[in-house]
Amino acid sequence: MKIELKRSRLEVRLDYKKLKLAWTIEPRYWRNPLLAWLALCALPLLSLMGGLQWLSIFTTANLCATIALPLLLQIIGTGRVNLGPQLFVALGGYTAGLLSINYKMEALQTLPIVIVVALLVGLSLSLLTILARGIYFSLITLIIPLVFMEITFVFSDVFKGETGIYGITPLFRLGSHLINSIAYYYASLMILTLYLFLVDKILRSRWGMVYAAINNDEDVAMMMGVDINRHKIFVFTVTSVLTAIAGWFFAHYFGTFAGVTYLPFTFMIKILFIVLIGGRAQAYGTIAGAYFVSILDELLRSYLGNISHFVFPSILLVLLVALPEGLWGIYRKHKYREIYPTIRIRR
Amino acid sequence: MKVQEMALLNVQGVTKRFGGLVALNNVELSIKEGEIVGLIGPNGAGKTTLFNIICGFYKPDAGKVEFDGRNITGMKPYEICKLGISRTFQIPRPFPDLTAIYNVALAVMYGKDRANMSLGDALLDAAHYLEFVGLLRKRDVLARDLTPFELRLLELARALATTPKLLLIDETMAGLNPVECERALELINRARDEFKLTICWIEHVMRIIMKAAERVVVLHYGMKIAEGAPEEVARDVKVIEAYLGERRARG
Amino acid sequence: MWETLSAVIVYGLVLGSLWLLVSIGFSLICGVLRIFYLGYGITFTMAIYVTWMFLSDFKLRLDIAIALMIVVQLAFSFLIYRGLIQRYLASEEILVTALLLVQIIIEEAINYKYPAITGVSIPTMILTGLCSVGGASISIQLVISAIVAILFTAIITLVLLKSKLGLIVRALSQDQKTAMLMGADVHRLFALAMMISVIPPSICALLLAPLWSVEPYMGSSFFITALLISILGSVGNLKGTIIASYLIGLIHSSVSFLINPRLMNLAALVFTLAFLSFRSEGLTRSESLW
Repeated sequence: MKIELKRSRLEVRLDYKKLKLAWTIEPRYWRNPLLAWLALCALPLLSLMGGLQWLSIFTTANLCATIALPLLLQIIGTGRVNLGPQLFVALGGYTAGLLSINYKMEALQTLPIVIVVALLVGLSLSLLTILARGIYFSLITLIIPLVFMEITFVFSDVFKGETGIYGITPLFRLGSHLINSIAYYYASLMILTLYLFLVDKILRSRWGMVYAAINNDEDVAMMMGVDINRHKIFVFTVTSVLTAIAGWFFAHYFGTFAGVTYLPFTFMIKILFIVLIGGRAQAYGTIAGAYFVSILDELLRSYLGNISHFVFPSILLVLLVALPEGLWGIYRKHKYREIYPTIRIRR
Repeated sequence: MKVQEMALLNVQGVTKRFGGLVALNNVELSIKEGEIVGLIGPNGAGKTTLFNIICGFYKPDAGKVEFDGRNITGMKPYEICKLGISRTFQIPRPFPDLTAIYNVALAVMYGKDRANMSLGDALLDAAHYLEFVGLLRKRDVLARDLTPFELRLLELARALATTPKLLLIDETMAGLNPVECERALELINRARDEFKLTICWIEHVMRIIMKAAERVVVLHYGMKIAEGAPEEVARDVKVIEAYLGERRARG
Repeated sequence: MWETLSAVIVYGLVLGSLWLLVSIGFSLICGVLRIFYLGYGITFTMAIYVTWMFLSDFKLRLDIAIALMIVVQLAFSFLIYRGLIQRYLASEEILVTALLLVQIIIEEAINYKYPAITGVSIPTMILTGLCSVGGASISIQLVISAIVAILFTAIITLVLLKSKLGLIVRALSQDQKTAMLMGADVHRLFALAMMISVIPPSICALLLAPLWSVEPYMGSSFFITALLISILGSVGNLKGTIIASYLIGLIHSSVSFLINPRLMNLAALVFTLAFLSFRSEGLTRSESLW
């Protein structure tokens, strides 16, 4: 392993058997993300003043971002837009919930099983990335969660129908409600940071290069020697597992899990909107988008009551039209240094 | 002792149908190592389809393709690429979201059958190829921002980066002015000498192909109608008939 | 045994005809505009609730209410076309999200004004009672709806195949740019296609309202069926849509009678996915409207 210091960059080279890896660590670009992350860490203090429900909103915002980030990676890595990411959220949540109430399992015990289930389902559904292209893939992934919801209604006795599963063992039982909430917040922040790190690093690495190529032009990538099917299956399966973990967290955080909250279009559009407003393929932008959407949702709900159900999507629509580059477009400085894969639905 | 030269590429009896349309009909093509073979024919003759079949993008309905002694019919395109066949596209198809150097780096990393490379090494290697075609100063420009001529150079650099033995060039000269044509031709000749390539070249700009190719194959409606040295083929009645119509040929 | 079989076939054919009405609008938009109107489900909901609004709040007669509702639907689809689709024809991801948002907005607005507990009923029952078709007993309303559906499809097919407008629309569905060069006023034709596509779902919703349950989120299940039929029948191809409608209708009826009625949509989805794994372009593998 060699570490070299070149100007303000740190280059780490690792030669392990046949694998050659190289990382460039550039601290000068760390300032803004680090500041933002520290601000996020300090958020509980803010909510202690404003009220405990804000902490819950921030936790939900973190969780929405943890669903949006793997979705982003999946869209770029498979070259197809998955309009049904909530399927794996529901899968993870129902698995965790059912195991919890039927077998009295703790949260950390249900986690490995959730991962295995998501792995198997993800692997089988990943065949869709090979079979279906462009809009067909998007349409099929659009309806699969709705059909899953119907299945949960058909087998109501198992999935507990519309009211859903309740009484799921919580992840943290640390005494007071306040300490629990803070623990959940930091746990969700930890998962978020991990996902962010993963997605960002992957997109900047050689695999990010391959994924950008697959996203742009699959056939040409194939003729340049890339085994696209292997990459697509890998990305789809891994991101599905990551999404399912978010569902697992939802189940053990709220203590209840109902498919109707997550499977219809309303939740999906929130996630899709977070990805789009975050600037499409900008990992940091998704976090800003998640917080923006969650805070907007909560503000509208508390001030407008029932009307918020259709005012919220209206505002989203206006923003979608008004900000074509998303929030990140306002922030981004033009640098050709970076690869900017973009998401688009192709035929 | 003279060793009989085995053909580098051997296409035998290849037939390809798209629904009711017969794109290729029992086409036979043999290319020896080090040759430049021109592939010409009117539009719709099936030349690009033949390239697609050689590269593995389509499977032929009949016939087989042999490369370097191996039967590559039906192999996946990425396997064929690693064996040493590479191509450029008629309308340049770069990866628009990647910069020029990353476009080539992808080909460097995945196009050859070699041990793992780190991204940094791949970028260094890619820089060499960009320098060869003359695009080094545009290396950090996104591919969607390059001019059409630069895109063709990028296509060439990308194809060369996979260290092919056989390079299939699909109409690089289309839409270029004479100066650019000469530059491209000189570049291809240099590439052939330096990288020891065999080239099969589809072209419509006749004067280029007649100058550059040692042997010319003519396709018409999916069938090979003539083969030989450029001057012979240009005088062949069937070829003139295919391009200009029957009356012209007789007169 | 024979009764079940005849029920399966009869209901399959009737459902298939109904699904024609349901999916033709979606196919028309897909085939002509080459976009995916993900807000299509809202046409059904709006047909019912706008008519109800005119009936109960404005106290109008049924036929006037229906006529006004059609006008509202036409205006709405025109606005959607002008406001959203025309602007974002090129960037589909924004379009898809925007159209979905539109559906959510309208659904939630309707849910707010007329939540599920208000007894919404549209007196469009033409003939009550059952009749016996081929040995199976089926509601007369359904049979009439099926006949209306077939008539409507026949009219649309005739117009598409025989008239000059149909010729232009077919050309447009194959190659937009060339049709523009040939003088077709693309945007007007698109707007026309969108407006026409609103009519079959409205008719279907009105005819079925007395029989099937009505609630603000009913559009989704119609949408799923229309989507599956479109995918199965090669998106945007009318011939394929017609065949696929009957296929899916038969699947629905056989699963309903032989296994479990609530597994209908799942069965249709599984069938569509299985079919796509053989022929990834759908039934007719065609790129044009006919």
